[in-house]
Amino acid sequence: MAKTTRREFLIHAAGAAAVGAAGFGPMRARAQDSGPIKIGMIIPLTGTTSQYGTTMSIAAKLAVNDINGAGGVGGRQIEVVIEDDRSNPEAAVRAARKLIDIDKVVAIGGSYASAVTSAIAPLCWESRTVLFTASGADSITRTPHQGYIFRTSPTVTLQGTRVGQFAREIGAKSFFFLGPQTPFAQSYIDIISTIFKEGGGTGGGLIYEEKRASYRTEVDQALRAKPDVVILGGYVPDTGVVLKDLFRAGYAGGRIGFSFGVNQVLAQAIPAEVGEGAYSLVPSASEESTAYKTLIAKMNLPSLNTYSCQMYDHVVLAALALANEPSAPINGTTLRDNVRAISQNRSGQQVFDAAAALKLVAAGKAVNYDGPSGPLEFAENGDVEGVYFRYEQMQKGTMALLKVA
Amino acid sequence: MITYLLFLGTLAGIYAILALGLVVSWGQAGMVNLGLAGFFGLGAYASAILSGAGVPIGLAWCLATLLSAAAGIAFCLLTRTLRGDYLAIVTLGFAEGLRLVETNERWLTGGSDGISGIRAPLKSLLPDAFPSLYLAVTWAVVAVAVVLLARLLRSPFGRALRAVRDDEQVAAVAGKSVMRLKCQAFGIGAALFGIAGAVYAHFTSYIAPDNFGVQITIYIFLAATAGGYSRLVGAVAGALAVMTILEASRLAATAIPGLDAVEIAALREFAIAVALILIIQWRPDGMFRMTNQRAGTRPVARPVAADVHS
Repeated sequence: MAKTTRREFLIHAAGAAAVGAAGFGPMRARAQDSGPIKIGMIIPLTGTTSQYGTTMSIAAKLAVNDINGAGGVGGRQIEVVIEDDRSNPEAAVRAARKLIDIDKVVAIGGSYASAVTSAIAPLCWESRTVLFTASGADSITRTPHQGYIFRTSPTVTLQGTRVGQFAREIGAKSFFFLGPQTPFAQSYIDIISTIFKEGGGTGGGLIYEEKRASYRTEVDQALRAKPDVVILGGYVPDTGVVLKDLFRAGYAGGRIGFSFGVNQVLAQAIPAEVGEGAYSLVPSASEESTAYKTLIAKMNLPSLNTYSCQMYDHVVLAALALANEPSAPINGTTLRDNVRAISQNRSGQQVFDAAAALKLVAAGKAVNYDGPSGPLEFAENGDVEGVYFRYEQMQKGTMALLKVA
Repeated sequence: MITYLLFLGTLAGIYAILALGLVVSWGQAGMVNLGLAGFFGLGAYASAILSGAGVPIGLAWCLATLLSAAAGIAFCLLTRTLRGDYLAIVTLGFAEGLRLVETNERWLTGGSDGISGIRAPLKSLLPDAFPSLYLAVTWAVVAVAVVLLARLLRSPFGRALRAVRDDEQVAAVAGKSVMRLKCQAFGIGAALFGIAGAVYAHFTSYIAPDNFGVQITIYIFLAATAGGYSRLVGAVAGALAVMTILEASRLAATAIPGLDAVEIAALREFAIAVALILIIQWRPDGMFRMTNQRAGTRPVARPVAADVHS
């Protein structure tokens, strides 16, 4: 082992300290009454939930450009501060604390995984910071959040209801749910059971262990119940394995999955005949809207997932809400009180373009902003209403669109 | 800024308690415990569930600590034939098993939704002073643990533990009950992990199985290694160093121009890995290295020349 003298150690230590100090220099806290208005984004950029992280952060930055290009909020520029949640609630809490205490953000957007959102939500409402979230777990908006939480993604209940209704639409009388333990697995089983019972049908479910190489036993157990349709609640890796085992077992009934399980990534990972005919329910960005078309044109992409569209809207909603009441102090409470006035004002002019909406708001006009992620109307508890879903089916190895509803 | 620092200070305190637990079981008794996240979670869940059922928070902390210690001793008895790497593997499995229980026993733990709204002492009475108060409480736990452990490890018990660490057979020949000593050390370690969990749960007010994954184990091993895995002062210094690396990398990365958020995130992961490699390369014994005791003198840790350490 190399010996280290005291002098060498001191040199190393001083070097390390200098690196640390360099970081602190430019980060002095700025109050929100001068300089750019800061909006925090907590986005999964690394770790297990990071599949959309890159486009999410690009979409958020684009929103900043659009708002600042239209003159900013009351003449002030806005700025997003993006922090990585590392797909881990503990790291997300540290990131949120930094955004709230050092950057003094008026709102935190992003917030994708349900565990991350549940962990940072108390920090947000306690510090009167608005939280825009793209998570699905119903429990999030049942917290005592005093109106500081706005959810732009459909809840688990809504997704489960739509899947259940769709299963009955395709003529199923019985279903079997197969999925890993997630915050929503049991809710899906309960919701879909209720829907089937109303129509005189039956069903059951099984929660399995994630990331296994074979689900033969689980599939056998599911098929013993002779279901007309198997509902796949897993993510891409498990769903691929389950579909293969269903295929091997000669199952000929319907298969319905969710966007996070049955999608183009899965279609490319499994043989075409294994996935042929499997349905998927995808919370849709409002793909027909001009807002969506403008956004994907700016990003140079053929299509964009709804979560990245939501990131764009988080930033735009925050900016429009603050611009709506220029006389009020710029803080989370003002933001909270003005979101609905610009997102769902029935008498306001319907606008699909963030820059145009901002100019109208600045001119004192009433607007109803509909973004790339949807019409953005929020219920009393902060849940989004009027979300569209794409119903897709795997056909010859690609996802084909059946309908948007 | 101040609240942020207080928050980090509290987290560093919790890391320090965890690192102290590791120093006792790994540094002093030679048992690698990769399952510390499991005990950490056990303490957190026990305290959260008990206080949710109306048990006073102080009592809930004590019960969580005792439960964790009992689990540690039971675990040590179960694995009494295992040493070294084999024990390490089983401890890792134990933590993973506990995480699965936390995920699937929804009636008790809320499943992967976790438990939210965990009560915190005095938070409703003194919301403004809470961050500094909790920092003080956390570091008081650290201080008490350090003082008690320092006394314990200076005692003949501590010497016997180190004898077991260095050579079990020699210790057994000298008439020491190796099994018992190992269980005691493992139990003390587990108790510390448990109380750290309890302190953590009431601090963040939300826990979920994701909190108790492998990541925290890596951070704590990094802390113990950076500080010096056999020294109490090393555990505390290491915990502070790890928290500094974790958070300073966040602030430092934004000072580099021309990087987008994704690159910064990747760079931070990289920086933490590089820090670990550099520490192991340059100072494998950490900031405070292991000291040898001399026979016949007062068993006080004294600075010794670099080439006599074991």
